[in-house]
Formats: sequence, C-alpha cells, structure tokens
Amino acid sequence: MDRFLDAVFLGLSSGAIYALVALSLVVVFRASGHLNFAAGEMGTLSAFIAWAFYDAGVPLVIAALLGMAFGALLGGATEVAIVRPLEKKSPLAVFVALIALFLGINALTTGIWGAPPAEEIGNLFPNDPEDFWRIGGGVWRDRDIGALVVTLVITGLLFFLFQRTRFGLAMRGVASNAESARLVGVPTSRVLIGSWAIAGAIGAIAAILVAGNQGQVTPIIMVTIFVYGSAAATLGGLDSPGGAVIGGLLIGIIENLAAEFSKDWVGQEMKLGVALLVIFVVLLVKPSGLFGTAKVERV
Amino acid sequence: MLKLNEGSPGHWVIRIIWVAAVVAALVYIPTKTNTSTIGDIATATQLAIAAMSLNLLLGYSGVISIGHSAFFGIGGYTTAILVSEYGWTQGWTIYVAAALAFVVGCIVSLPALRLKGVYLALVTLALAVLFPTLVRWGKLAWLTNGAQGISGIGYEQTPTWYNDHFARWQFINESISLPELRGREGRAIFLYWVGILILAVCYLVCRGIVKSRVGRSLIAIRDNETAAAVMGISRAKTKALVFGTSAAMCAVGGCLYAIQSTLAEPNLRFFTLLGSITFLLIMVLGGAATLWGPIVGAFAYVILDTRTRQAGESGEGVIGWLFGWMTGSPATLVLAIVLLIIVFVAPFGIVGLLKRIAAKFIVIIPRPAGTAPLPVSALEEPAVAGSPI
Repeated sequence: MDRFLDAVFLGLSSGAIYALVALSLVVVFRASGHLNFAAGEMGTLSAFIAWAFYDAGVPLVIAALLGMAFGALLGGATEVAIVRPLEKKSPLAVFVALIALFLGINALTTGIWGAPPAEEIGNLFPNDPEDFWRIGGGVWRDRDIGALVVTLVITGLLFFLFQRTRFGLAMRGVASNAESARLVGVPTSRVLIGSWAIAGAIGAIAAILVAGNQGQVTPIIMVTIFVYGSAAATLGGLDSPGGAVIGGLLIGIIENLAAEFSKDWVGQEMKLGVALLVIFVVLLVKPSGLFGTAKVERV
Repeated sequence: MLKLNEGSPGHWVIRIIWVAAVVAALVYIPTKTNTSTIGDIATATQLAIAAMSLNLLLGYSGVISIGHSAFFGIGGYTTAILVSEYGWTQGWTIYVAAALAFVVGCIVSLPALRLKGVYLALVTLALAVLFPTLVRWGKLAWLTNGAQGISGIGYEQTPTWYNDHFARWQFINESISLPELRGREGRAIFLYWVGILILAVCYLVCRGIVKSRVGRSLIAIRDNETAAAVMGISRAKTKALVFGTSAAMCAVGGCLYAIQSTLAEPNLRFFTLLGSITFLLIMVLGGAATLWGPIVGAFAYVILDTRTRQAGESGEGVIGWLFGWMTGSPATLVLAIVLLIIVFVAPFGIVGLLKRIAAKFIVIIPRPAGTAPLPVSALEEPAVAGSPI
C-alpha cells in the first residue's frame, strides 16, 4: 500500500507537469488548429530568462512571473510573425516552421547557456529532504504537492476565462467556427494572439517547475517532458482542456505505477514506453482521444 | 520563351544535357575530391534515400510522419545484428531490413488510417522517441546490446569481387581504366557507388509509384481525402501500402548509414528524433512532392552542414563571425534559420524554385494521353510539378 501511494503521489506530481504542457498545446490547438511543436523549447527559453532574473538577485517568485511574461510575449510573437503569415500558404508550412522553431530555440539555448557552469535555480516550493507530508503511509513531498496545486490553479483560471469572460466566449467562438466568429465581429486576430500568449505563459511555468525540481536549467529539460505532454494531450483529446489535465495525471500515475510494480520489465528506462503504448492503444480505439470531439468534414 | 512538345528533338536535347551533367557530377566526385568529401557525399545519398521515402508519404500523400528515424534505425540495427551475430555479408542484410521495415510500417499505419493531421504526427513522434528507448531497453540487450550498441559492422575491406573482376578494366587504353579500390579511400568510394546505385533504384521506384494509378490516388487523397474516397479510391489499402514502401525504403538508407558508420547505437545522430527532423528538413529544402527534391536537398544539406561545422570550429568567414559567440557548433541553428527562410521565401524548395524559373524560359508541352499532340497555343499555362510545403 505504501508503495502504491508513493507511486500515485509521484505520478500526480509528474502528471501535473505533463498536464501543464498538454494545456499549453490544447489552448493553441483549440484556437488555431495547430500543434505547437516548439511549446517545450519555448518554455525552456522562458525558464532561462527567469533564471537570468533570479541570478541577478530578483526573488524567485517574481523571476518566475517575469519568465511567464516572457513566455507570453514569445507565444504572441510566434503567432504574429510565423503562424499567421504561413497559415495562408498551407497548414503543412506552419508545421514545418514550428519544427524549425523547436530546432532553432534548442540550438540557441545550447549555444548561449550550454557551457558549464550549470545555471542553478531554486524551487518555488520548500525542497529540503525533510519537507514532506506523510499521508496514509505514503510520502508526498512539498514540491510535488506544489506542482499539482499550480496545475489545478491554472486549470481553474482557464475554466473561469473560458466560461465566465467575454474574451473566453470569443475564444470558444473562434474554436468552434473561426469563419463565422469573424463574421459576427469577434476580433479573431486578438483571440489568436491571446491564445498563443496564454499557452506560452503556461509552457514557461511548466519549464520553471521542471527546472526547480532538477535544481538547474539546461537546454534539454523539456524535450522528454514535451513528448509526455503531447501524449497527455492526445490521450485527453486535443481540443479539451479538462481532458488534457486528466490525460496528464493519468499518464503520470500509470507510468509510475508500472515502474514501481514491474521493476524488471518497465523500471525507470521504459516509463516512456508505457506512456506511449497507452496513447497508441487509446488512439486505435478512439482516434479523437478520451474527451475530444470527433471532427466531421464536408466535401 | 521556348516552347517544346514532349518527345520532340529539342526536348531530347534538354534531356541528354541533363543526363550528361548528372553523370559528369557523379564521376567527378569520387575521382577528383578527397576521401572525407566522398564520405560526406555517400552520407548524402543515404539521407536522400530517407528523405525520398518521407517525400512519398508527406509530399505526395500528405501523411505527416516524424517517425522515419525509427525506420532508419530499424534498417541500421537489422544490418548490425545480422552482420555481427550471424556473420552475414553486409549487402544481403539490406533485403531483410527492407522486408522487416515494410511489416513494421504497415503495422504503424493501422492507427494512421484512422488518424488525420496532427494526431498522426503525434503517433509518429511517439515512434521516433520510442525507438532509441526500446533499443536501450534491458530486456532487449541480448539482441541490441543496450546503450553500447553494436560496432565493427562496416566493410573490413572493399569486397574482393570488385577488385578481382572489375578493377583494371581497360576501356580504350591503359590510361582509362577502373582503379583498384584499397583502404579507407577505397571503402568510401565503394560505399559512394553503392549509395548512388540504390538511390537510383529508389528514384525509379518513386517515379514508378508517382506516375502510376497508386501515385494519382495518393495525390487525390492528399488534396481531399473524403472526395478521393468517394471517387472509389481505397484509402486504407493505398495508405498502408505506401506507408510500408516508405518504411522499407527508409530502412535501406539506414542499412547503408550503419555500414558507413561501422556501428549501430541508440543515440546515433539519425536514429533519434533529430534524424526525422533532418529528413523533413531535407525534403522541404529540396522541394516537397518533386522527384528530384530529396536528392538535391540531401546534397545541399550535407554541404551546408559540413561547411557550418567547419566555420563554427575555426570561427572564420561569415558564419564564424555571426555565430562565434556560441558554445559548440552553429550548424543546427543555421539549419533552423535556413528552414524558416525556405518556408517563407521558397515553399516549393530548391527544385520547385528552379522549375518555376526554368518554366519562364522553356515550356515542355506534355503529350496528351491517347490523342494527337495539341497545338502549342492550346496549353498556355502547363502545370509545374511540386506542391508548397
């Protein structure tokens, strides 16, 4: 039972970070129909910016907020400078450009901060070995609870935004039918920029949390996490924010349980394999993900 | 503007000039350049094969795949395992690798048949990430030797049959004869010619597919899947077949790459996600949905990559001046920038761009099927091959 709870707690916290990345993907996908392949790397770059402020003596919380602001700027700029002009050409051009952005940002961060010494950064939450809660025999560390809380707060804010504000209404309108939304006077371009900016900020906080857990920012912190995040988004359905969160938490719990109870076959090395197998099976059965809506197209 | 009917003497002159130029370039490289350049160009042929296989999927059928590095890796590992464990000759492993990758490709295409666009991209992304993880997996170590990989699978020497039978063939007199291939340079030249030969075969396969009923079906599926299905095209069969063929072709490139690198290991450059991205880049650089695009793209990529790497190390030239502040090589950053520029400025790639420029000066009027040649004036705006990425 202790092992079970340990694995579940661990899964909830790593799942929380996958959920954040998945949310960042879903917010963009709902609004524009594109998969932001550079989401992880944009987060990494924002985490480096946060580190730069932190290193200059700014308190970590403020530095993290500044990093998120940078992420939002980066997201909005990507929409304006890359996605919008290319969208007119073809969706494939956007796909290729976002992959180029992934490659470029990764190379850029490696080029600037790749050399030692490591860029050390603190954790947003208490992170000493004795900072943990004992719940039902399982150990739950403060920083892991913190990551889950951050994810839940952001999800709550997003739901408030989508359901209770004018801007959210416009976002939902664009998501369901961009053409009609534009015709009835919804400021589509502002909605798109807003969506990308929100996604950028969410990606940034995810990267800052990951960096905090590892104690340092490196150019590769988000590469594997992005794969997990995209798996979570696929599992939950690419157009469902709630699905993204549930998908992320599910993947986190499943992979940690598998690693804990099948050390021989899965262990630490095949965790990713389990996660990917799960989405492969889900997609075979339900191609639009658990909570996604199937798209019907007319000729 | 010059207008020529397809098959007219003028058209044949252009064709012959093309063939002569390609043959001249092919002979020039192994005879006049140094060993490392020959090796780079041999790698270019392997990458061209991989990009060509991706072009078949992404360019012609619009099926997004960023999992081709896994097929490349399957090819490499099949060769490595058969050579090191079972003592096969390198060349024969290529057939096994192609067959194996065909089967894996068909299996992967199962969800691909139900998925569209980004969902498919995500499944293939999973494939690309899964392959190195699987190869490193402890439970498969008996086969793949874990993280260390398998080494020593290259040619020890140039296969003796060449030196026995072909070297010192005299064409006209002693001065024009095939050289004997020995040592490091000999291996490079041999792999170069093997690469060119297989690339030519792959080109013909692609050409055959594209210009056949299957190819037309693919393009129809790409342009409007629902409409294609309504027209009576079996989507499932066509897609599975093409996915399998594409995987098999990519695996062949992987075999040659492993033979040239003399090893197969999980983090070999083109066996990871970076490989898939590179193939995509090559395809876009050369021109999606053109037959020559992947070939031109691969050569351009290799030249760009080696040049920027050298410039990054020495800090010389424009690249060195622009990117001297970077830790490590600026090659990847330069590639990303080039890719972005290509997407904006020349979405048809190098080949598409050249064709469009050429079309301003020379127009080849295609021969209409089953009818007498139309007068030149009937076709003012003939279609140009390629599609914007």
